[in-house]
Amino acid sequence: MTARARLEQLKQQFGTSILRADLPSDTRLFVHVEPSAVKPICRHIFRDFDARYVISIGIDDRPFSGTFLVAHDFAFDKEHLLCSVLTQLSPENPKIDSISDVIPAASWAEREMRDLVGIEPVGHPYPKRLVLPDGWPDGLHPLRKDVSWDHVPKDFDEDREFKFDDPPEGCTVVPFGPFHPTLDEPAHFRLYVEGEMVRGCEYRGFMVHRGIEKLAESVMSYNDIPMLAERICGICGCVHSVTYAQSVESAVAIHPPARAEYIRTIMLELERLHSHLLWVGLACHIVGFDTLFMQSFRIREPIMWIAEKISGNRKTYSMCLIGGVRSDIAPETKAELRAVLDKLENEWRPVVAAVSKDRNIQKRTRDVGVADKKLVKERGLVGPVARAAGVDIDCRRDHPYAAYDRLEFDVITEQGSDVWSRVLVRAKEVFESIRIIRQCLEKMEDGPIQLEIKDELPAGRLGLSSVEAPRGESHHFVITGENNRPRRWRVRAPTYQNLQAVPAMIKDQQIADMTISLGSIDPCFSCTDRLETIDLRSGKVRVWSQDELLALTRKKA
Amino acid sequence: MDLGVAWTIVGGFLNVCVVLAVAPFFQGVLRKLTARIQSRQGPPLLQPYFDLLKLLGKEDIESGETPAMQRFAVYLALATVLTIACLVPMGFGAPMNGSGDVILLIYLLTLSGICTLLAGLAAGSTYSLVGISREMMVMIALEPLFVIAIVVGAMHTQSLRLNTVLNGSVYAAGDFPWSGALMLVVMLLSFQAFVQRVPFDTSEAETELMEGPLMEYSGPKLALFKYAQFARLVIYSALFVALFVPWGSHWMFPLGWLLFWTKVFVLVVLVTAVAATHARYRIDQAIRFFASLIVVAFVALGLASYGY
Repeated sequence: MTARARLEQLKQQFGTSILRADLPSDTRLFVHVEPSAVKPICRHIFRDFDARYVISIGIDDRPFSGTFLVAHDFAFDKEHLLCSVLTQLSPENPKIDSISDVIPAASWAEREMRDLVGIEPVGHPYPKRLVLPDGWPDGLHPLRKDVSWDHVPKDFDEDREFKFDDPPEGCTVVPFGPFHPTLDEPAHFRLYVEGEMVRGCEYRGFMVHRGIEKLAESVMSYNDIPMLAERICGICGCVHSVTYAQSVESAVAIHPPARAEYIRTIMLELERLHSHLLWVGLACHIVGFDTLFMQSFRIREPIMWIAEKISGNRKTYSMCLIGGVRSDIAPETKAELRAVLDKLENEWRPVVAAVSKDRNIQKRTRDVGVADKKLVKERGLVGPVARAAGVDIDCRRDHPYAAYDRLEFDVITEQGSDVWSRVLVRAKEVFESIRIIRQCLEKMEDGPIQLEIKDELPAGRLGLSSVEAPRGESHHFVITGENNRPRRWRVRAPTYQNLQAVPAMIKDQQIADMTISLGSIDPCFSCTDRLETIDLRSGKVRVWSQDELLALTRKKA
Repeated sequence: MDLGVAWTIVGGFLNVCVVLAVAPFFQGVLRKLTARIQSRQGPPLLQPYFDLLKLLGKEDIESGETPAMQRFAVYLALATVLTIACLVPMGFGAPMNGSGDVILLIYLLTLSGICTLLAGLAAGSTYSLVGISREMMVMIALEPLFVIAIVVGAMHTQSLRLNTVLNGSVYAAGDFPWSGALMLVVMLLSFQAFVQRVPFDTSEAETELMEGPLMEYSGPKLALFKYAQFARLVIYSALFVALFVPWGSHWMFPLGWLLFWTKVFVLVVLVTAVAATHARYRIDQAIRFFASLIVVAFVALGLASYGY
């Protein structure tokens, strides 16, 4: 079914509530609707059309249209269609019906919209502060256009404490984080524990916000932003820069040359390789199996070296620009890359064979951290977590980008829904990535790697792009703007959705399983925490003020 | 002062010195070997000595809830382990053969576990409390195994004397030592837990509990606790060798003595290899495993009481 057919269905159902629609291509649909109709339309799309919820975006559009905008993004994976439902809200006191009670996956996105843009989701089941630090003054919304990107609120209250919910009867609180050996980044899970069993938890994250979106919208230019976007994440840097570039390209309808698309594909798959190998290692470390942890890092290392050869960085950074890539892959690098892939395949095969027969690891991972099909649907889970539950989604096939439409590969699924299935999915995806890169090297034609863009990019266009990151779908939403930079850029990393399901995954499990359950979604907190104007300490140690702490560190140094 | 008392004192002192001297070395072997299995270079063999020295020289911070108890726990831990050293034959007879028996040994072994509980309790943090609750469960399940092994030996030899029991006594049955063989298997399978290594290091589990009971220790006290743990590895290995692999220990010095330490060394290597190739079990899985071993151990005890 095409975008047009879906639009006709919506029009039949909702008639005049649909104000206008944009169909820039067969794979994108933008529907502008009445604010009052947003909730029923979203429910219809989510429940009756069985589309996957992606993200909600709040936009301060007052300088341009005099209104606030809200967009809810959905994906029709079988129909290769990304759809956005948009509505305009009044500039004073913007309010919208919350969709979280019919689409639980929207919970965080709506809380974030409330914190950062000040759009009130009316009827939200849990309208608690999500993103802003504890001491941030109420009523100040950093993503509004009248708040400058370097604004420091005078009335920031360092002593205000975050109010956690009361634990249920009979449970003790075990603080997991903000710092913990298995969390590579700060995040705080307050576990409610009864003996060794976890009965529930509350999450408080967003502790390392860097204000990336605000920075991009305020001071950077179109071609600066890829370099910023890839710094959202320490692992999937290339994913974010490619997703951003593609969303801008789709907004203004330009197409990078074929060779650039192949190079992007190769870099994305290299990234998946090193990410999956890293993950298998970390998962083993979490269950105390350090030997495989070390071995998988040894096997991974040559990938980092070849990435350095191609991009100049040990990582897959600084490659992507709007309309192309920055460096080419030379013939001798091609040969070297082939050799690296052969070696990797030979070394990885025995590891997978050994792991899949290991009863010891299975004991720790089977029926642990279960996220079944229902949870995947309700929470909009993506990537290996969804595929391990038998949900056959993969943006590389469902929403083809770069050169994936010209390549052959299998989407790996498992049925177990548990950590063990996620191990298997990731272990097998390594072989698919190797296959994809080999095909790219085979099919890559000579030609330019960068499109010449002569004209200024038109303003006010909407762009969506989804890229299959190692952890799942990374989705970017862009409104192009003036001064050679976007008006609004919203990043939704896969962890943003997957992390929301962790409380459900760890409920009624042992504490010992908590770490591997959390680890199994391959959490990337930096991806989630990308959004804040300044990084103010929301620290646990209240006796020290930020200034005192700074003074202290300087004294010691 | 007669010769016996002098031997007790000098021998006991010698044993303590030897244990203190070699314990970090065995730890070094363990770390180096683990590193080689993991394709790493690994630290120098003498690294644990330097680590201990470094920790001993650090500032002594008492961050737990009851510092007095924390202090007490760490001294008691090291003292207990070193007292056990006096009771175990290490290439010679047990120095305190005359003044203690296997019952005392069993008590001291339990006491060394209790020190960890005290330490965790004194620290008072949530993680150390979870750690000691696990430690307690493990102790309850694990302690009977060693006791049964010793009782089996005592039954065969009709004696509680250290030198008699800790000399392969488990095999001293009639035709074929069924009970001894069973206990050997049981002890081999549970040995990782006695020395608190993967897959049974549940009470410390770095990635879950951040060292559990030891969490609030730092500096010199951490050094002493670590020292006690290093010594624990040596002493349990020595006990294992004395009970189950006695052959050749009565040879003339230095042959018997060298053979004894070689056997201990081999055991440490075995522990390392197992630890490096396994994932950590969850506490309930570990307890279930120990429970099945206890059943086997009781069968061995029954056999022993009928002279098999």
